This record gives sequence, C-alpha cells and structure tokens, in this order.
Amino acid sequence: MALLQISEPGQTTAPHQRNYAAGIDLGTTNSLVAVNRSGKTDTLPDSEGRHLLPSVVHYAENGKILVGHAAQQKQASDPLNTISSVKRIMGRGIEDLKSLSNRLPYEFDGNSDTHVPRIHTRQGNVSAIEVSAEILKNLAHRAEQSLGEPLSGVVITVPAYFDDAQRQATRDAARLADLNVYRLLNEPTAAAVAYGLDQNPDGLIAIYDLGGGTFDISLLHLNKGVFEVLATGGDSALGGDDMDHAIAEWLIGQAGIGEVDALLFRQLMTAARQAKEALTDADSTRIELTLGEQDFSVEMDRATFNGLIDDLIKKTLMSCRRALRDAKIDKDEIDNVVMVGGSTRVPRVQQKVGEFFGCEPLTDLDPDRVVAIGAAIQADVLAGNKPDSDMLLLDVLPLSLCIETMGGLSEKIIARNTPIPVARAQEFTTFKDGQTAMAIHVVQGERELVSDCRSLAHFELRGIPPMAAGAARIKVTYQVDADGLLSVTAEEVHSGVKSDIVIKPSYGLTDQEIETMLRDSMSHAKEDIEARMLAEQQVEARRVIEALDSALAQDGHELLTDEEYANIQKVRNELEKQIDVANSEQLKKAIKAVEAASEGYVEKRMNASVRQVLSGKNIDQVDV
Amino acid sequence: MNIDFNQNYFELFGLPLRFDIDKKQLHAAQLKLQSEFHPDRFVNADDQEKRLAVQQASYINEAYETLKHPVKRARYMLQTRGLELNDDNETTSDTSFLMEQIELREEMDQCKSCQDPLRCCDHITGKLDQRSKEYAAQFVKLFEQGELELARQVTRKMQFVDRILEQIDEYQLELEDEL
Repeated sequence: MALLQISEPGQTTAPHQRNYAAGIDLGTTNSLVAVNRSGKTDTLPDSEGRHLLPSVVHYAENGKILVGHAAQQKQASDPLNTISSVKRIMGRGIEDLKSLSNRLPYEFDGNSDTHVPRIHTRQGNVSAIEVSAEILKNLAHRAEQSLGEPLSGVVITVPAYFDDAQRQATRDAARLADLNVYRLLNEPTAAAVAYGLDQNPDGLIAIYDLGGGTFDISLLHLNKGVFEVLATGGDSALGGDDMDHAIAEWLIGQAGIGEVDALLFRQLMTAARQAKEALTDADSTRIELTLGEQDFSVEMDRATFNGLIDDLIKKTLMSCRRALRDAKIDKDEIDNVVMVGGSTRVPRVQQKVGEFFGCEPLTDLDPDRVVAIGAAIQADVLAGNKPDSDMLLLDVLPLSLCIETMGGLSEKIIARNTPIPVARAQEFTTFKDGQTAMAIHVVQGERELVSDCRSLAHFELRGIPPMAAGAARIKVTYQVDADGLLSVTAEEVHSGVKSDIVIKPSYGLTDQEIETMLRDSMSHAKEDIEARMLAEQQVEARRVIEALDSALAQDGHELLTDEEYANIQKVRNELEKQIDVANSEQLKKAIKAVEAASEGYVEKRMNASVRQVLSGKNIDQVDV
Repeated sequence: MNIDFNQNYFELFGLPLRFDIDKKQLHAAQLKLQSEFHPDRFVNADDQEKRLAVQQASYINEAYETLKHPVKRARYMLQTRGLELNDDNETTSDTSFLMEQIELREEMDQCKSCQDPLRCCDHITGKLDQRSKEYAAQFVKLFEQGELELARQVTRKMQFVDRILEQIDEYQLELEDEL
C-alpha cells in the first residue's frame, strides 16, 4: 500500500531497514519505556496518558497478574500479594534482606538451593527476577503497540553501583520477558546522553541520581561524543523511600502508635509520600490519618521535613566526595551537575547539592524520564539506526572483583573503576599429588574480609590432569564484559586441558531454574504471540485506511468511476469494521482485500503523478 | 579487521616505546581503537564476533591502563626487554631508601594524632609526588642508557612510593568517613 502515499523523489519517507529498539528504565518505584519515533525520542504513555508505570506487580485471586497502576490499587487492601520496590531485592540473598529494611511486609521463602529469596504469594513463590520480568513485559508491550512492530532489542538501565549479581538478575529478568538486551546501561550515563551533553566538545559531568530506592553518583568525562565513566559511587539501598520512612517514623512518634501492621504501614507510607511531594512547593502541609476509630491530624512544615532528611542527604554527599577522590578530581573542576530521579525534586536536595558542587544543578528535563530517554537514544544507536553517530559509552567496573584466599581474606583480581570489558588471568597450582579439582570463591567488594564482601559464585574446576603436587599450573581467566558481567574459564598451562567449570551463583538463579521458568511461561506464549500479531495487524489496518482515505479525498472522484469508488469504499468499510473484532488472520485477509480492490486505483494515481511531473516540460528536460 | 595481539602496547597505540609519552595522544588513540572494536559496535553480530569484540576491547583497555600509569608503564617497558618484577620476593638493599620509607611511615602515623590530619596528609603527599618525579627522571635516563638492572631497581622504588600514596588515600577516606 506504500504506493498510495506518493512522495517527491529523494524525499521518500519509507525507512530502509529499520530495527525497532526501546530504552527501559527499570526503576525501584516507577519504570518507563522510551522509543525513538521520527527522529524524536520520548517516553511512552499508557492508554490513559500516564508515562510512569509503578513498579508494582499484583498476583490476583483469579490467577491474573496485574502490573502498574492496577497493581498499586491493590497495595493497601492486599499487601502480601502485591510486590513493590522489587529492584531492592534483585540479586540479593535472604540475609541481605534482613539488613536492608526491617519493615518489608512480604513473607520470604529462603530455603532454595541458590538462596534466591522467593516471595510467598497466593500464586506460588516468586523471585524478584520473575516480578521484574512482568514489569519488563508490560513496558515492551507498550513499546510494540506504539511502534506497531516487534522490538529487535532493548537497552535496560541499572544503577552504576549494581554488582554482578544484581546485573545478572536484571539480564535474567529480560530473558524471562523474551527480550533481546543490547546492553545494560548505567542510569547516570543514560541521563547525560538524554541531556545531549554528548554534543559538548568536552567536560566533566557529575550525575546525582536520587531515586526511590537507590542513590548513585557518577563522574563522567566527556570527549568528542565519548562518555567515559571516571568513577561511580553510591548506595544501592538509599533513596526517596527512606525519606518516606523517616516521615512515617515521625508520624508514628507524633501519633503515639504502638503496633504497626502491614496495612497501617502502607497507609503511613502513602501519607508520608504525599506530604513529601506537597512540601516541594508548599512551606507546610497537613497530614491526615485514620487510625481505627479515631482520626489523627498533624501539620508538618518544611523545616521539620528538612531536619528529617538532612542525614540522608549528607550520606549522599559523602559518596560524592569519595567518587571525586577515586576519580582524582576536584569539586570545582566539575562543569555540569545533572539531577536524576524523582527525589531530586525535593528543594532541600537541590540546595545542598548546589552548595556542595558550587554550581547550579541541571533540572530542565523531567528527572523521572531522563534515564529512559537516554536509554532509548543509545538503543537506537546500537540497533544500527544511526550509522553516522559515533557515540560510544565506555564503562568501568563498579566494585572490585576478588577471590577468597587462606583465612577468609579477599584478594583483588580486578580493582573497581577499571575500564570494562577487561580480562585478567591468574595462575594456581595444586597442593596434593593427583589433585584433579579445585574450588574458587569469587566475591565483589572493597573490604578485606570475604565475609564483608558480596559473594558472587563458587567456581569448581574439574578435570585437572593428575600431576604431582605443585606441578600443575592452572590459569584461571576472569572476563568481565561490557555489561559488567563476569565469566570464568580455566586451563592447565602445560597440557592445555580445559577444566570444566561448575558455577554455583550465590544469589542468582542457575540456568536450570531459568529454563524451568521459561518452560512455565511457554504455556502463555501462544496467547502472547497471537496478541502481538493481532496488535501488529491492527496498526497495519489503521495505516492502510488512513492512507486510502487521504488518497481518495485528494483525487478519488477525479480518477475513479462512481462504481469503482463505491467498490473500494465497501471493502474499506469492511476492514474498518473488522479492526476491533477480528483475529489477526481475518484482519490480514481484510487488509489484502483492500489492497486488491485498490490496485487499479494505485496504478491510475501513479500515471497521474507521472503526467504531472512531465507536464510543461520538453522531453529533453526530463531526467531519466 | 582484527587486532594483532602480538604487537606490544606502544605499537598498538602507534606510540614510540619510551617513558615520556603524550597522554593526550595515548587517550585519543585508545578512543579511536575502542570506537572500532568495542562490543557495542557488534550487538547485531553473531556470537563468535561478539566474543572476539569483548576480547579485543579488553586487550585495548589492558594496554591503555598499563601505559597510563607510570609504574605499570615502567614495568611493562622492562618486560619488553625481558626483565620481570616479581612482587613476592623483591627486596631492596638501598639503606637510605629504606630509612626514608620508615620515616615517611612514622610521619603518617603521627598524622593521626595531630590537629589537622587532612592537611598533614597533603604535606606528605606533596613530598611523595616530588620523589615520584625524581625516580621517573632517573628511570628515563637509565633505560635509555641500557642500564636495565638499575632501571629495575628504580622501578621498585617508584612502586614503594605508589603504595604509600595508596595507603594515605585510604587513610584520608577513613578520615572523611568520620567527619
């Protein structure tokens, strides 16, 4: 049907081969998806015009899974089956969770082999990875609806401070959601891209990202379109939720509340969040609570609020100081400070960050949307849609990779802030005659004791050729890819024998587990495929009708007999009727019918347009 | 186009094999190579090409890191001449150097009890930076003269100074955490 839309030669609007890509900001509190359409990149709204998708998943009684606003509505009434802030649990073990927050309302089942905590819901136990996959599916669907094409790949953002287990968990979630991940991109880098700072010739940029559940500070060096992460720092368990917590605690004190159950806790947190948001513009706000029989009401002014959050802000500034030291740069060398994350709307945060860096922070773009936009811009470049772009994002390892040595001490293999990808090799020897196996425990972190670092995985090398003690030389290679993910290979140097490596991830899912989950989701896959195909055909049908209508309005009566015109109209109307009721196969047929019926018309339009070009010109003026 | 893993790091970046390198030139050369070989340029390629891209980009990064840091660069230059530094059993018999090390360490300890420890740290750092420059100058001369064994000993000293600087850094970090 492309022929119905005749364009000037050299101005063809039809793209050649386009890959459809999206950027996804998988956030703690809210998630977003952005795509590039006709040269403009922006986040996509849902059918009700809302860009933010609350990162909330509800496991309903009827076996359905609700995501986003619909799930959020269930939060107060059914907190145990409504999972929010799941990003905080990604790649974490059950022990971490206890220290993470003393008031997570969920019931955990931590008895699985791999120590992946599973949240108990009425639809069975689910891991953070599965919950995240639901959010990703929802966003991917939104993007495909909007583009009318399946996605060829996505860029998903993660906090720069995410360790290997957390990154791996994010990748696994994408795999479960059946998405092709071009790259995991650090959120701050995405923000800098969104601000178009890559257009500047060079400079030093600080990205201050205070989201719902994580804080990140990243220092980037920009040089001719190439971003280099100089240092990253932050806290993967600190954010706007903690501000809400602080207010909730204050309310508990003010109202003299004793016991706090899950339901009341939700009410307190909701009231706290509303108060925080109100205080962005107002100097004072009134908080109303319903406590059983009686109502409670209290006034909170900005000074009180500031007092509650100053410690939290101070912690973030300490991380900034540390990152500056790591990068060996001075505060006043920073050219731009970019503010990211909803929590940077808090005036006190803007004020304190401005004071610290001694410059006015950038706040022009919506701090909630800036990361997704940056991710979509990079996704478009990676998909190959911008062959002229020389944008390149170079990253560093956020936390040192170490192995456990004698006495539970950690030995650094690759130091933090080393540019990635990176590979390091290390040699071991056997200490027993005929030894054929050995174990390596890889951890991530900066502390000296292994117990203070994050355990990543136990690697078991097998098939070492038996030799006298100390004679075998086993070369172990640690490879970190561009996403910051580790893989390990081992080989005996003399014999060249490769060892089999059995990996037991400390907090991640094994491949086996993921396969099982994928199989489980296969039962839904058929419906998913039909739904996707239907959506594609619906978009196509609307496009055909639109093109046909505009062509008919232009020259329909001029070129067609009344009979021909009526005939085309009839098939067109039939297609229109089918759009919302037919399945994808029926719709495809209806589209074909319109195309067949208007074949003659298309030809006439072609001829007419050629005549128009030729009219008034001598034959030798026409370019052939 | 693949990278020749047999060339040395200086050749990789098109630089002459010498200690005094143009850091801007090194940085530019690294970016040029990365923009060609980084895995981001291969997201739509097959698995084997992807793997190769990770390896090549890793090699470029390793080379860049090595040449960027003076001590690593010196060690690498010695390595190209067949001289290795073994970290575990290297000792120095230069007594005046040892004495200086001990003094510096004592000074650092005293820092902890003085009024303005951060400023005290800056003072020691200044001294050490000066030392680094002197050793670097010695290395350049010795390497050019082909006095490789002596150059190796100077490299050892550079490494000592580096480690103390690292320790001061860590100590300053602790101080900041307390503030």
